[in-house]
Amino acid sequence: MASEAVKVVVRCRPLNEREKELGSKMVVTMDSARGQCFIQKPGGLDDPPKQFTFDGAYSLGHTTEQVYNEIAYPLVEGVTEGYNGTIFAYGQTGSGKSFTMQGILDPLSQKGIIPRAFEHIFETVQCAENTKFLVRASYLEIYNEDIRDLLGADTKQKLELKEHPEKGVYVRGLSLHTVHSVAQCERIMETGWRNRSVGFTLMNKDSSRSHSIFTINMEIFAVDERGQDHLRAAKLNLVDLAGSERQSKTGASGERQKEATKINLSLSALGNVISALADGRCKHIPYRDSKLTRVLQDSLGGNTKTLMVACLSPAADNYDETLSTLRYAHRAKNIRNKPRINEDPKDALLREYQEEIKKLRAVLAEQMNANHLSAGLSHLLPPEPVQQEKPAPPPEAQPDVEAEKQLIREEYEKRLAQLKADYEAEQESRARLEEDISALRNSYDVTVSALEETLRKEAGGRQWGRTAPWATARLV
Amino acid sequence: MATPTGWASLCDKFRSSLSLSTVESKKDPENEPYRSKYSARELLEEIRQLLGSEEAGEAEGDEAAARLRAARLAVLEYELGVNHTDTQERSAGEEHLVKCIELLQRHRLSRDCVCLYIQAQNSLGILWSERDDIKTAQTYLESAEVLYNQYMKENGNPPLDPNEHFMAEEERLTDQERSKRFEKAYTHTLYYLAQVYQHLEMIEKAAQYCHTTLKRQLEYSGYYPVEWALNAATLSQYYLTKQCFMESRHCLAAASVIFSQAGQAPSAEDNETEQDQQDLCQRKAEIARCWIKYCLNIVQGARKLLEDNIGELDPDRQSELKAQRKKEEDEKERGRKKAVLFGTSDLCDSILAMEEKVSCVFPLDFQEAREVFLVGQNYVNEAKDFFQVDGYVTDHIEIVQDHSALFKVLAFFEEDYERRCRMHKRRVDMLEPICADLNPQYYLLISRQLQFELADTYYEMMDLKVAIGNRLEELDSHTIKKINSLAQLAIKFYELFLDSLRNPDKVFPEKLEEDVLRPAMVAKFHIARLYGKLITSDGKKQLENMQTSLEYYTFLVDYCEKHPDAVQAIETELELSREMVGLLPTRMERLRVKLSSFT
Repeated sequence: MASEAVKVVVRCRPLNEREKELGSKMVVTMDSARGQCFIQKPGGLDDPPKQFTFDGAYSLGHTTEQVYNEIAYPLVEGVTEGYNGTIFAYGQTGSGKSFTMQGILDPLSQKGIIPRAFEHIFETVQCAENTKFLVRASYLEIYNEDIRDLLGADTKQKLELKEHPEKGVYVRGLSLHTVHSVAQCERIMETGWRNRSVGFTLMNKDSSRSHSIFTINMEIFAVDERGQDHLRAAKLNLVDLAGSERQSKTGASGERQKEATKINLSLSALGNVISALADGRCKHIPYRDSKLTRVLQDSLGGNTKTLMVACLSPAADNYDETLSTLRYAHRAKNIRNKPRINEDPKDALLREYQEEIKKLRAVLAEQMNANHLSAGLSHLLPPEPVQQEKPAPPPEAQPDVEAEKQLIREEYEKRLAQLKADYEAEQESRARLEEDISALRNSYDVTVSALEETLRKEAGGRQWGRTAPWATARLV
Repeated sequence: MATPTGWASLCDKFRSSLSLSTVESKKDPENEPYRSKYSARELLEEIRQLLGSEEAGEAEGDEAAARLRAARLAVLEYELGVNHTDTQERSAGEEHLVKCIELLQRHRLSRDCVCLYIQAQNSLGILWSERDDIKTAQTYLESAEVLYNQYMKENGNPPLDPNEHFMAEEERLTDQERSKRFEKAYTHTLYYLAQVYQHLEMIEKAAQYCHTTLKRQLEYSGYYPVEWALNAATLSQYYLTKQCFMESRHCLAAASVIFSQAGQAPSAEDNETEQDQQDLCQRKAEIARCWIKYCLNIVQGARKLLEDNIGELDPDRQSELKAQRKKEEDEKERGRKKAVLFGTSDLCDSILAMEEKVSCVFPLDFQEAREVFLVGQNYVNEAKDFFQVDGYVTDHIEIVQDHSALFKVLAFFEEDYERRCRMHKRRVDMLEPICADLNPQYYLLISRQLQFELADTYYEMMDLKVAIGNRLEELDSHTIKKINSLAQLAIKFYELFLDSLRNPDKVFPEKLEEDVLRPAMVAKFHIARLYGKLITSDGKKQLENMQTSLEYYTFLVDYCEKHPDAVQAIETELELSREMVGLLPTRMERLRVKLSSFT
């Protein structure tokens, strides 16, 4: 479950009989091996085809079985292990969305993703040992930003969206129905489907504003080898996204759809226009998220898997819709839940660090020199003076220090003391002091200057003028 | 001229066509969505024909009569144009609209025609935007804008409403009503231009036009207070992104004032449901949240200006900015303000009074920062009143995070380390319980944010305690205990964060996702560091801590070796870790020697 982004696959249906009769041209081609999809503007043969890359590109030759096994299987498997999963279906009317999601029974390889997911879940339920499952289904519709329970006693009742720290986002009063078999699951889905505000009326312009979410809630109660109980819960959301005929708001992302270039006529949409201006962090945009985004907020990012299946028609006369579907699907790839970790750049900390490393080096190096350690090591850890007021004293006095070395050291310390006095006198001109110190260092040992350069490079151009008040040697 | 009865029937027909397309069409059945529009179209065409045949030769020569005739025909062309556009016959629609404009071209600056001309250009703008040709739309709309300004400069009398051309004398509108309709048409021009500029990614201009639209809505009373207030509050957030604090504050103050008016005047029917009340409360809380962001952004902005290269307040910079502020205060700001002011005089006074409650210039010292902080904190409480944790988890947490951020940025201005530390303690106190109650299965990303922030805050507190300790002659055992426990807590939360990255089998991922890479690495790095900071007199314990520290540094180094593309994200930390990996073993070796020499 490493990937937190949404996986997006596209599937293109073959030309249907009507299109064949009309002699429609195919404008969509797929390169399944690369997950690429190309669309050629009808009549615009001079332009190169537009290219999109997805996590999967399926065309005529692929069965739903293949699509399921490659893409949906790991997601549903995750659900049976206790992780949320969401499958979005998207595509204009007649693009083969039902074929992919519901599918047909003959041949069996074209059975839809939804019945396969049901089977997958109940197979797990039946095969598991020492584990009990509670599987419940709910079905809701979001129509004009109102939420309704498609399986409730009153399907007209508007429901409220709420959140709970322990339970997450939930729809208050949404009915849950215990299911024991695939057939039961399908029956319930069928019932709910019939309760939708919008039927199959062709070209009904409002159908595009209805999203529906069928959710399978699994509670997994397992007993491990040591007799310990574990309760896990997971959800599988099957989302039928509003059609691509019209999208005033993107379903999944919550970002406002950049509706090509259309002007919104009604002043009541001024809020949308303004919201779109103020993007970026550290802002609050009232009412930005659609209900759909909020319902699914825990399914978009985090330890969840999200899959979008975008269905396409290959026919030339659907070019515009297909292109818009492809664009939408492409944007969906970048959907992420908003929260990010705000991390402060800790310059002070890093600087303090560098100081300490220097000190550490110095302390170690002194010791080693004194101990006549191998030349190789001392090259790695050259002796280095400490610019701190209180250099950490060498932990142990060494008996065999050479007299000459001692002399140099005394000389150095004398000059350092003087510099420190200067430092106090010249608080403001740190830069000059810095030069002095480095000049002093140069005279003390040539190797130091080489080291200085490496250190300065690490500091990324940071100045070395002032020490953070608490960065002293005491605690090293 | 037509006979009076003939003319009256023409006017009747026109009126029916209007009612058909605006009222009746809403009731059309689904399978015949344009029925009424088509009937309206028939009527319009009929009128046009009658007008054309009756008056053809008659009105020649007379300038006023010619203008009137052109205007009437243009009204019909306009209505037909809109009708065709509405029924998805764009090309025909365009033809009619262009014809309308051609008819009016000569008379466009006359009182009879200017309003219609602007409306026609608006419609053409929309039409071209629907054809995805935003540049052409822009041309029409900008030309409408120019015409409005020219007319107002040269004439300025309330122009006729287009429909008046088909009204009997006694039905004519009052000048007040005319002016209202004319201004409304122009408001729409500006609103459409706002969208055009937005689509063309001329964001500043788009914002300016949104602002003007809001301003005009207020002036011509064409707004719903709650909606208006929310829009103004949202616009304030745009200004925040541009660091225009004065404009941002003005929008917010106006939002608050207008909103309070909505609260005072309950809807006439007085049948407000509980739901409506709830909505009102939510919107009020939303505006409060916009204020919070304002306060937060302005203090954070100030911090950025004032901090030195290690993130501390730079006193030189501070006095420099204070001097600079004195100089600039008067001149520049006043000029900028005039252009964007909302409202008429008495409204203006209320808005100004609201504005005075919080500054719109960067706070430059603790006192000033504190004043903004307190305003922000008030809004935090107001927003939390509505967005309670039970029911609004995400919103509630966002508000608490803002509250914590307010404390954090205030702490920057506080010189006293003890007090600074207490501010961070307040942050911990508000974040820790929420973090504990949150189910990471549903709130994973928020959990991570909280864990990370808590870890950072404990770290900060430990650093402060160390600094305080360093000022003492000798570290007392109490301070040492405190330092150690803060370090342990920081470690705990970094570890919790890192654990949240593990997969279902509790294995740390081989390769980290891009959005958690840096936080994860930084967490490892900080833990390494924290182990190095733990104070103990027990040599063996110290050795253990060093060993743990080394392991974390090694993780960083190894990870970057395996995934070279990660290096870029944590360059400095990696360099330091490499050094530590080089240095620590020697140091540990020495400690071991020392330990054994004692035994």
